[in-house]
Amino acid sequence: MSANQTPLYKPPSQFDVLRTPLLGSALRWRYGRLLFQVPLVIVAVLLTIDGFIGPQRASQNLATVGAWVHYRGLVVLVLLLAGNLFCMGCPFTLPRTLAKRLSISGKRFPKVVQNKWLAIGGLFLIFFLYEWLDLWASPLLTAWVIVAYFVASFVLEALFKESVFCKYVCPLGTFNFVHATASPTQIGVHNPDVCRTCVGKECINGSYAAQPIILIDSIGTGGQPDTTHEHNRQGVLGCGTDLFAPQIKSNMDCTLCLDCARACPHNNVGLFARSPLKELTDETAWRRRWDVVFLVAALAFMGITNAFGMVPPVYGLIERMANAFAFLSVWGLPPFAVEGVVLLVIFGTGNLLLPIGLVLAAAWITQRTVSTQDSLREIAATFAPAFVPVGFGVWLSHYLFHFLIGIWTIVPVTQEFFGFRGNYGLLGVPVDSPMLAFVEIGFLLLGFGVSLYIAQQAAIRRYRRQGFIAFLPWALVFLLMMLVALWIMGMPMEMRGTEAFFASAGIEF
Amino acid sequence: MISRLSTTILLAVMLTLAACRAPRPAQPASDIGVTMSLSVAPNPPQVGNATLVLTIMDEDGQPINDAQVNIRGDMNHAGMQPVLRDSSTGREGDYTIPFEWTMGGDWFIVVTADLPDGLTVEEEFEFTVDGEMMMDNIDMATEEMDMPMTEEASGS
Repeated sequence: MSANQTPLYKPPSQFDVLRTPLLGSALRWRYGRLLFQVPLVIVAVLLTIDGFIGPQRASQNLATVGAWVHYRGLVVLVLLLAGNLFCMGCPFTLPRTLAKRLSISGKRFPKVVQNKWLAIGGLFLIFFLYEWLDLWASPLLTAWVIVAYFVASFVLEALFKESVFCKYVCPLGTFNFVHATASPTQIGVHNPDVCRTCVGKECINGSYAAQPIILIDSIGTGGQPDTTHEHNRQGVLGCGTDLFAPQIKSNMDCTLCLDCARACPHNNVGLFARSPLKELTDETAWRRRWDVVFLVAALAFMGITNAFGMVPPVYGLIERMANAFAFLSVWGLPPFAVEGVVLLVIFGTGNLLLPIGLVLAAAWITQRTVSTQDSLREIAATFAPAFVPVGFGVWLSHYLFHFLIGIWTIVPVTQEFFGFRGNYGLLGVPVDSPMLAFVEIGFLLLGFGVSLYIAQQAAIRRYRRQGFIAFLPWALVFLLMMLVALWIMGMPMEMRGTEAFFASAGIEF
Repeated sequence: MISRLSTTILLAVMLTLAACRAPRPAQPASDIGVTMSLSVAPNPPQVGNATLVLTIMDEDGQPINDAQVNIRGDMNHAGMQPVLRDSSTGREGDYTIPFEWTMGGDWFIVVTADLPDGLTVEEEFEFTVDGEMMMDNIDMATEEMDMPMTEEASGS
């Protein structure tokens, strides 16, 4: 069904965050997004400065502590409890206005890449570089990553019309989009009839005009304009990712910039509370495309491999792989490149081949065991939303572990950044080990349980009496994912560079 | 107008912040001919209690006993609490310091010593700690250091 044919939609909830006192007004204010962006841009600047000129020890530098401990921990927590607030406050989009002014062509992004394949590639690349370049251990490289984000965002905004970077490229945004499908808030409209008769569709078109324009909303008696509103230089941009507010059923692609709410002349757009399961159990909220299917599945597997990169078995695997690929060194490939090849094979298998293979296998088994004319794509798309909770559980478990054990480390590092003596004596882990284990295992099991529920609901909805059979292969995939994640989380964490494991293969760095 | 103002403020703040980091008063020990070496027991290091023995010699090879030694152990990734220890009682240049490897992985130990002549020197040592905790280690730190220890690390 095309966007034009999509029926207008009203979320069932009546609680609109944008209509709460103070907070609602602040968010709807013309510069409301800046309230979030300014603090985050300051943080980004501090991280970048320290990354470039501060001590090059990860534990003593704001860039590494801020990016790899606190940002990651807070982002999953906020996605779970509130919504995609980090895209709302994203500092990388601040140069957007400047980029738009510099934009000469304003072309549309090429049709062939108007999908999630680039985003999958971006996610894979950032997690691969994280392991290969030991980003977690390098303040300098972390600072360069921040700079690269600013540059990429600026260039793509300048070259193309819509917010290409956010919608099709940004790995951080893609991570947020996928997990925001399980968030408790969503953009919607109060009254779809208002949108039906809306003249300007400002939520998507914006209300900015270089020269004032009067729009007539309704004609009164005598043919005179009854109600009007104006587009002018005080207006705001419409939705950067081309979402039409009354048709939004999904948080996928929504950066929560709230430009739609600010642009709406009828005060009809809201940020509604909803059940976190609402979108995951609504088949019509998901695009039934391979890129979307593989995005959610691959991201869930990336959660597992990202955690796998920190436990002892990965080092044994790297050592064996280094021996297997030692011939590359004989052929003259430098050690750094051989290491890249080895890690590429390991993480390419875990992050791409495995999810693709398992999704195809599960879909094929479902197709063979259930009397259905559905294509593999249709079947995979039916069960794709169920990958979100199990993956989200792994990310929550992993990132909250780091966040909780390192939550106070930001204090002395910040003190030292500002030239004071870092007070390390005050540090302490806010939760004890049993509580930490409870949090880790709790999120894993919760994610797994919710995934089973969503898959089961999807199976019954689509395959009725044969639903249980259709559900089984997917349940097996989720069970495997959960068991592997439990095995990883149950092991002692080790964080080591991988160069040492190439020595046994005669490859010296 | 707002854009220009905010850009100016941002640039001013960035330049100010860039000057924030206090200069480090310590200099590398090798710069003034002081030798610092660090050995660890058990060796190879494993998660749990351990004992570090720091040896400080002056440029003539004579032991320095009255230095104020501060040790900071950090993992090579962010988010772990550092392990902080200090000592001021050296014997024949050896400072025996109870320590704890709190997690397996790559560690670096930064030793800062305030020497009797007022100079402050610093040296960094790297270790890789096995993630498997050895239960025998639990009482290690409280025992007398009568076991032979292997030189594990040199300053980097």
